[in-house]
Amino acid sequence: MRQAESDVADVMRALFGTPSEPAWPLEILPDIDLVNLESLRRAAGSVSSEKDGTHLGLFREHCVVCHGISGDGQGPASQFQLPYPRDFRAGVFKWKLTERSEKPRREDLRNVLIRGLPGTGMPSFSLLPGEDIDALVDYVIYLAVRGEVERRLLMGSVSVMGYGGEPLPAEERLVYKGDRDDAEIIVDTVQRVVQQWESAQDTVNAQAKTLSGPEDLDTSSSVERGRKWFHSKTANCVGCHGAEGDGGIETLDYDDWTKEYTTKLGISPEDQVALQPFRDLGAHKPRPILPRKLRGGTLRGGNDPERLFHLINHGIAGTPMPGVAIVEEGDGRGLSEDQVWDLVSFLRSLNGSE
Amino acid sequence: MSSSSYLTEGIHPPARTAHRLSVLAVCMVWPLIWVGGLVTTYDAGMAVPDWPGTYGYNLFLYPLDTWVLGPFDLFIEHGHRLLGAFVGLVAILIVIASLRHEPRSWVRALSVGLLLMVICQGLLGGMRVVLSDRTLAMVHGCVGPAFFSLCVAVSVITSRLWWRSLDGNILSIKLAKSHLFLAGVIFALSYTQILLGAKVRHVLPDALAAHFTLTVAMHITVGMLLWLLSVCAFVGFRRCGDLTLFRPVFALLLSVTLQMTLGIGTWVVNYGWPGILGTSFIRSIPGAAEYLIHAKGFWDSVIVTAHVAVGSLILAISTMLALRVIRTRHLLNQSTTTKSLPEAENAIVSASKAFS
Ligand code: HEC
Ligand code: HEC
Ligand code: HEM
Repeated sequence: MRQAESDVADVMRALFGTPSEPAWPLEILPDIDLVNLESLRRAAGSVSSEKDGTHLGLFREHCVVCHGISGDGQGPASQFQLPYPRDFRAGVFKWKLTERSEKPRREDLRNVLIRGLPGTGMPSFSLLPGEDIDALVDYVIYLAVRGEVERRLLMGSVSVMGYGGEPLPAEERLVYKGDRDDAEIIVDTVQRVVQQWESAQDTVNAQAKTLSGPEDLDTSSSVERGRKWFHSKTANCVGCHGAEGDGGIETLDYDDWTKEYTTKLGISPEDQVALQPFRDLGAHKPRPILPRKLRGGTLRGGNDPERLFHLINHGIAGTPMPGVAIVEEGDGRGLSEDQVWDLVSFLRSLNGSE
Repeated sequence: MSSSSYLTEGIHPPARTAHRLSVLAVCMVWPLIWVGGLVTTYDAGMAVPDWPGTYGYNLFLYPLDTWVLGPFDLFIEHGHRLLGAFVGLVAILIVIASLRHEPRSWVRALSVGLLLMVICQGLLGGMRVVLSDRTLAMVHGCVGPAFFSLCVAVSVITSRLWWRSLDGNILSIKLAKSHLFLAGVIFALSYTQILLGAKVRHVLPDALAAHFTLTVAMHITVGMLLWLLSVCAFVGFRRCGDLTLFRPVFALLLSVTLQMTLGIGTWVVNYGWPGILGTSFIRSIPGAAEYLIHAKGFWDSVIVTAHVAVGSLILAISTMLALRVIRTRHLLNQSTTTKSLPEAENAIVSASKAFS
């Protein structure tokens, strides 16, 4: 395992540099639309500022205490937070307007940085200059891409290349050199991850864009119907969020970042002994994720009707919160578009934004 | 209880200039700590990348308009340097004044120590900038309060009160060894708390989460201990019969209480309400479940900087208290070791006659 880690680390350095000195594999990805290299340079490295007030080392200045240098969500202050700071390396994000399994758009990340996430440790950075926010968004994407490629290569090296048993002889080890087979695996992995990010940027989320709320959005009749769907079997929001969205239901469940090193490996999140090796590597102590108390609460992703429509349709990626299929007519397998809008009205009535 | 002005009436200690200058230094260093705290809060420590000059200018000659009208970072970082330099000048004057008038050699030595310390502190600050090093920033942050404490020490030991004589007022003071012990422990814990606070504040980006959690836990524990000891001191010194000791104790209790509140505020504006306290607990605090951190907010940075500055203030008060307790016990010991009790009582009578 050690061997796999150090070989993958070498490859990663060749491709992406280090989080402190970022690079982009231009030989694999000659046209870079996704990130701006100058931004990466500004966001990385140690904190300093220039005569005109421009700050350098933005990520260390603003984010590293929670998200950690490599974006693993294990920064110094992370243990106090619930939810834990995001581990960017999994490439999964919650607050976005793309499909559940898709990457977020730049704009989604930008919104999170500017608005912040109330009720979590994630601050609002609305007081930073716009170009700082842009540079940070570039850097988050960089860390997410880098981290995901690294983790895929690690998994691949164990499952495909036979790392993990006896140390491999030199000619069988993973190296990043143009004329070997490994190079193809590596190039393929990088391209696949970057491709996902790029395609998400193009989805202008057809649905949310073209949708606008019906005339009777937020009217009391719509709210009443929404209340009915909320408590209905089909949507079953009540099963997690409690009657009237008042919370109080203790679902013992975990988010996907936690499941990755627990239930997905067949380890119970309460099994301290089995978890110890992961904890030694810095993994957080598993803590259950609770469905939100919706009445009177502030929504982390905002109250915008189109956004709530999207939320009900797609759920929240990385969490147990499911999406509801949208069907032609409400038939028990999903909700119709109108019914979802009614739910939107109801949700908006819960936190007083009628 | 007797009033302190009565206690010091008619006493003419030497080296008045050194004393007044040291009081001036105390009054300048506390604002300096505020500005220094702001520099860290705004991460402006590297706003001026060169040293000892400011963008090539001599420190004192940097153009006023560029400084005042330039970016906020540069304003506070250059202001911090300027104020620091003026404190250095005052320290030089203190050395000159005490070398000329101060009879006690250890006090003269202390004043030289004061100057050396301010020089070191300036060099540390400079090296921090030139080497762009966060650990040096932390050391700089720990030496600052120590220097403040030393300024307070010099002004206490050159004060009128220090020279008060063994009279009836002093002999009626009841100071046990436990008072001395308490004052000593409070002083030691105040500085420990500053070191721990600096470790929290200047956390390295690659520090392990478990270590940081431990440091924070220690910072909170020592804070609570300090508060309890301040309450003990409040009770213990109330009946000691000396306002010059009770007043600092009272100020200590007030500032430690304030500091605990500011500490919680500092945590919340930096890291939010700690979710690990449990969802139901957080929901029971009004507004906590919806709380949103605003990075670099103005009032937020005032709370954080106030926490840093009040930390130094607590150290200063505990320095004053400890030194006064030591001095008073010293005077009391003189009386009991050299005289038997009846003689001491005689001394009281004659001393009070002499005064009335
Ligand atoms: C005080 C701790 C803290 C700081 C500082 C912080 N974050 Fe976060 N961040 C969090 C937490 C906690 C979450 C998880 C919120 C959630 O799960 O809803 C998060 C989530 C995120 C997400 C994921 C949003 C999503 O849609 O899933 C991004 C991106 C992010 N942070 C970027 C940043 C950047 C960039 C900075 C610095 C400019 C930063 N964070 C600073 C605590 C912090
Ligand atoms: C399996 C349990 C479950 C079901 C069923 C469920 N939710 Fe959730 N919901 C959650 C969890 C868990 C969260 C918290 C996610 C987070 O913050 O990471 C959540 C969060 C939310 C939020 C907060 C979003 C924000 O921006 O802060 C809303 C709104 C919401 N759910 C609405 C609904 C509605 C409407 C339904 C029914 C269509 C529903 N939920 C069904 C588990 C559930
Ligand atoms: C008597 C009690 C306390 C004293 C004397 C004290 C002192 C200090 C000092 C001097 C610093 C800054 C050090 C520096 O800048 O170099 C600091 C930082 C800090 N203290 Fe305290 N503190 C006390 C109690 C508390 C409590 C109860 C909390 C509550 C959680 C707390 C939370 C913090 C935090 C979060 C920081 C870091 C600030 C930052 O990162 O900007 N403190 N403390």
